[in-house]
Amino acid sequence: MPLPDFTQNYFELFDLPQAFQLDAKLLGERYRQLQRDLHPDRFASAAAHERRIAIQYSAYVNEAYAALKAPLPRAEYLLQLAGMSREEISKQPVDGGFLMEQMELREKLESLPDMVDPETALDHLVVEITGDLAAHRAEFEAAFDAGGLKAAASACVKMQYLDKLLSEAEQAESDLLDN
Amino acid sequence: MALLKIAEPGQSPMPHQTRRAVGIDLGTTNSLVATVSGGRPDVLPDMAGAVMLPSVVSYAGEREPVVGAAARELASQHPADTLVSVKRFMGRGRDDAAADALRSHYQLADNTEGMVRFVTSAGEISPVQASAEILSVLEARARETLGGDIEGAVITVPAYFDEAQRQATKDAATLAGLRVLRLLNEPTAAAVAYGLDSQEEGVVAVYDLGGGTFDISILRLHKGVFEVLATGGDTALGGDDFDAAIAGWVCEQAGLENLTGGQHRALLALARSVKEALSAQDSVEIELDAIVPGAPALTLAREAFEELINALVRRTLRACRRCLRDAGVEAVDNVVLVGGSTRVPLVREAVEECFGREPLADIDPDRVVAIGAAIQADILVGNRPEGDLLLLDVIPLSLGLETMGGLVEKIVPRNTTIPVTRAQEFTTFKDGQTALALHIVQGERELVSDARSLARFELHGIPPMAAGAARILVTFQVDADGLLQVSAREETTGVESSVTVKPSFGLSEDQVAEMLQASFSHAAQDKSARQLAEQKLEAQQLLQGLDAALAADGAELLDESECGALHAGMHQLRELLEGEDIGAIREATATLGRASETFAARRMDRSIRKALAGVSLESLDNEVGE
Repeated sequence: MPLPDFTQNYFELFDLPQAFQLDAKLLGERYRQLQRDLHPDRFASAAAHERRIAIQYSAYVNEAYAALKAPLPRAEYLLQLAGMSREEISKQPVDGGFLMEQMELREKLESLPDMVDPETALDHLVVEITGDLAAHRAEFEAAFDAGGLKAAASACVKMQYLDKLLSEAEQAESDLLDN
Repeated sequence: MALLKIAEPGQSPMPHQTRRAVGIDLGTTNSLVATVSGGRPDVLPDMAGAVMLPSVVSYAGEREPVVGAAARELASQHPADTLVSVKRFMGRGRDDAAADALRSHYQLADNTEGMVRFVTSAGEISPVQASAEILSVLEARARETLGGDIEGAVITVPAYFDEAQRQATKDAATLAGLRVLRLLNEPTAAAVAYGLDSQEEGVVAVYDLGGGTFDISILRLHKGVFEVLATGGDTALGGDDFDAAIAGWVCEQAGLENLTGGQHRALLALARSVKEALSAQDSVEIELDAIVPGAPALTLAREAFEELINALVRRTLRACRRCLRDAGVEAVDNVVLVGGSTRVPLVREAVEECFGREPLADIDPDRVVAIGAAIQADILVGNRPEGDLLLLDVIPLSLGLETMGGLVEKIVPRNTTIPVTRAQEFTTFKDGQTALALHIVQGERELVSDARSLARFELHGIPPMAAGAARILVTFQVDADGLLQVSAREETTGVESSVTVKPSFGLSEDQVAEMLQASFSHAAQDKSARQLAEQKLEAQQLLQGLDAALAADGAELLDESECGALHAGMHQLRELLEGEDIGAIREATATLGRASETFAARRMDRSIRKALAGVSLESLDNEVGE
């Protein structure tokens, strides 16, 4: 069974410029256009081998879309295209000030259940994390566009930290709602 | 015939007659079948004019099982032999289902392995068999109404169904002799029923509260593409729980204890009618004398009823909020109500409050899912102009592997768009380790013990190496039905192993085959003739597709020898089709299929380039005007 031979990278697949700044609307249009032609549902009456191929192509397009749609995976993918492995990215040092901030944010998150009004406190925390994320996205973009791979990777690591924290905050929110 | 589309967008070179396909809503309480005829979707009634088939199968009689309203009549006399709400037991193990079974007065077989089985007068029956009986009745209804064999069916499942529950549903269809075109998530089906004509754009929430399951899905509609952004729910929460709450209140108020199975069933039926009456009235008189002689009459006010079910309704709202967040949207443009339980006024009010929109319920909430499924079936068999509608669905629960220390490593997170292929590398942890056991699990929790176990398999023949030196690539592939296939490969040696995940609580291939043999409805049919016809059809489809593809692109994409080889294979298959040798036809079809894979892949690659060229050239306005 030949696997889809995609030598193109994800940006080429969607015919978009290889950059962090991305036209989300255009990406969505092109993603839907590709799925219109490749999705296995288009092959429901076709022979079994064609259905298998369609699944692989369609899965590939989904994978590409998921990698470009959200800022963090997009940043990681750009660094990988520039020759940096996941391990190298994760080894980039981040400054001590950032780590201190992280610890403080994390402490706030952990102390939520003891607060008088945990929901409001959580709302503030989420706003703070989201703001930080936006700032480090801008940091990534500036560094990457200027060709500073290491600085970009460092910003990417910060985005990873904050992204994880944000999903933990969301989990905390649903725990609060459940109680 | 999607290949044809690549050749000539919008035109099928091979005119064909309309194919008979149906949509089936296999519900907890009721099941329906619908089809599209003359371009209009509609549900199909039985001879007596009833559209809804109660999802009840009774094995009380001496002969064949009784299905539907007649079976429901038997429920209070033969509680253990009459299976209601079997959907709640699909794909579940004995331990998992014990509490539900006790409440329903079923007796369970002792098997601790595999799916739960009910002990009835007709022997042990699995939920899959009972579901197959329901599907058979609907299939027969469609065949009689439409005047011929059904080419295929789209069967709906709750979006929140896990792998085992989906596989069980598919097995039930196989057992009923139905070809499954697609398992379709119920909320997505409802969105299709609403969204198709209106060419709507925007974000839609589908709130689906049925008899036994609750689903919430958030979709983005975009020029005929339905993209599911997130889905959530609870597979053990529904209108049945409202009935049980009323029944519990009645027992408490009237001081009823130690009811027999039959009395309890009768009380639940009464509770159901009380619930339905309370949708229109402010209070209802409950006469218990017929069930428990001498028991006092009670009055239940709507307010008191709402208090009884308030916690259940709030539970659904929590799932809604989580789903909104997963979807990454702040607000929705429309809310669609699905399922009979959304007739309860408190449910409507709560949904309106949660989404800040008055919900849509123009299409009968009992029928909307079957109608959406019928539309999708019509598209999948090729009765509609292509490009009309495309559904991009997601997996409801994360899929992962057990790692060291009983932890779950998520490979495919929930709400990932399907189909999807994800691979991850693992390694050995002992020196000289030659085998690796893989345990596939589903769920959101971090500990394996809290997740649902789907399957286990082993990769053998890893050459002895130092710990951490082997590179084992594990690949998860989920198809458009949400069904999983896992393969593992040691990269340095190429040793491979793979498994189509048959969930631990599912049925083995052998069990399905055995049931097929035993199934009464199939003994009557000439099985081998049917198989031959199916095999011939598959061969003809392949030949037709290749004819069209070769005519369109053969010269451009194939060299002379490749073209010649394909023509030779086609010629051989055509000759075999004159005869009756099913084995030879199957083999030649498979060989030709493999031979044409490269061609198909080249066409797919070119189609990608063309699709993108099309997008770049067309302006947005042109697309809107289509």
